[in-house]
Amino acid sequence: MQLYRLTLATMIQRKVWIIALFCALVLPIVLPYLTPYESNPSLLEPARAQAAWGCLWVVTIAWLFFQAARFGDDTARSGLGAYFLSSGVSGLSQMIQIWLACLSFLLPLVLIALVICFIGAMPSDSAQAQMWIATNLQYAALFLLVVTPLMMVAVSVGSRFGSTVGYLIPLCMSVYGMYGVGYLAMMTDAQSNLLLDWLYVVSPHYHLADLTPRLVFKHGSMLSSEFLQLVVYFAGIKMVLAMLSTLTFQPKAAT
Amino acid sequence: MNPPTVKPRIHLARGLSIGYGESLASIESDGDGIVLEGGTHYLLARNGRGKTTLLKTLAGVLNPLEGDYSCEGRCQYLSEDLTFDRELPAKVIFEAFLKKGKCAEAFDLAQTLELDVKKPYGQLSTGNKRKVALLVADFSVQDRGHDVLLLDEPFTGLDTFSREVFQKRWNHNQDGVLRLVSCHPDFDSMEVNSSVLISDGKITHMAGDESTQCWGELKTHLN
Repeated sequence: MQLYRLTLATMIQRKVWIIALFCALVLPIVLPYLTPYESNPSLLEPARAQAAWGCLWVVTIAWLFFQAARFGDDTARSGLGAYFLSSGVSGLSQMIQIWLACLSFLLPLVLIALVICFIGAMPSDSAQAQMWIATNLQYAALFLLVVTPLMMVAVSVGSRFGSTVGYLIPLCMSVYGMYGVGYLAMMTDAQSNLLLDWLYVVSPHYHLADLTPRLVFKHGSMLSSEFLQLVVYFAGIKMVLAMLSTLTFQPKAAT
Repeated sequence: MNPPTVKPRIHLARGLSIGYGESLASIESDGDGIVLEGGTHYLLARNGRGKTTLLKTLAGVLNPLEGDYSCEGRCQYLSEDLTFDRELPAKVIFEAFLKKGKCAEAFDLAQTLELDVKKPYGQLSTGNKRKVALLVADFSVQDRGHDVLLLDEPFTGLDTFSREVFQKRWNHNQDGVLRLVSCHPDFDSMEVNSSVLISDGKITHMAGDESTQCWGELKTHLN
């Protein structure tokens, strides 16, 4: 696990994690006060949950995806990938070690979002509180199922095509899956087109993992069957992306 | 009970050909090819003759064009352009790579070599950057192990004092370690007991009595 330790040490040394921590910890507390909460104090708690999860998405996509892509790129270009390859660390193992190092920063951020939702936005009614906990845990699981394979894509594409491409591809995939698919749905509703229908079916529907509206409007947690369906769907995407990432990862610079 | 002693060994079989698409160099010697065992061996050739290509092939980073080779032992290939993140100080690099005891030894040697382990890697001079990579590789060698170190031009940028410190260390620490060190014959006074030469597209080995003892004389064998 030398590459894991080195990657983790590098991330700590770069100190950008302080900004990420600030965003995840402080913004969800400060931002809700920008709402007209004085006229309706009950706005504060859902706004806090919305800000906590919103900041987590932004920090993950803006910072961790970029870090993952850069580490993939650096490992291949710096000769470290070839060094580890020669000492018996396979390309797959190298990719997983870099990915795990990024994950080591992601998990505490998810935990912070959960803690903010549990402490700063928990409904007082006990039945609602239980529902709130379940919804947040479901959200955390779906969030991790969506972003962790994209982080692996960033590492692998970064190693082969450089950090810029390595960052842009998961960024575009996540934005498309969150928002683009919605526009595609409107288009398929407006006109019948086989190609668009097919595209809609094979697109990653990451918007399904965004449970923020459920939290804000207190729709309650998902039914177990519905949640499991989503878990299987995202696990399927995760497996496909993990396989593609394994094939794409290149531990040494092209000769 | 003592662990079984496995000696590190490199075998370049007759007919081995290395290169990118077309052959840069090959083994044409009679008999069984070239066999290297524990100790320090120098790989000498002029620019573009295939030193790095041979090391990459032995490290398993590059496939040979033809023929067989074997590299028995725990391999480490230190490429000439190996770098670490510019913000990482050597101290953190050593801690990430080395076990505690070895890390302390690496700090001691770094002090002897006048390497500031607290300075970010990006702010170190070329020679000091090489020292970091060399220390990582050298202290990753296992005790009573069987290690193969493939070092690509490790002396580039190093001053004579530092080079001699490393060579002295290598001479004292030869058990269970095979070092194949590529370099240019620019240090005329340096003694070479075993050398692998690449010249005119042929890879040959000179050792023992047939080895030219002085580096300066080896230059005459290279084309």
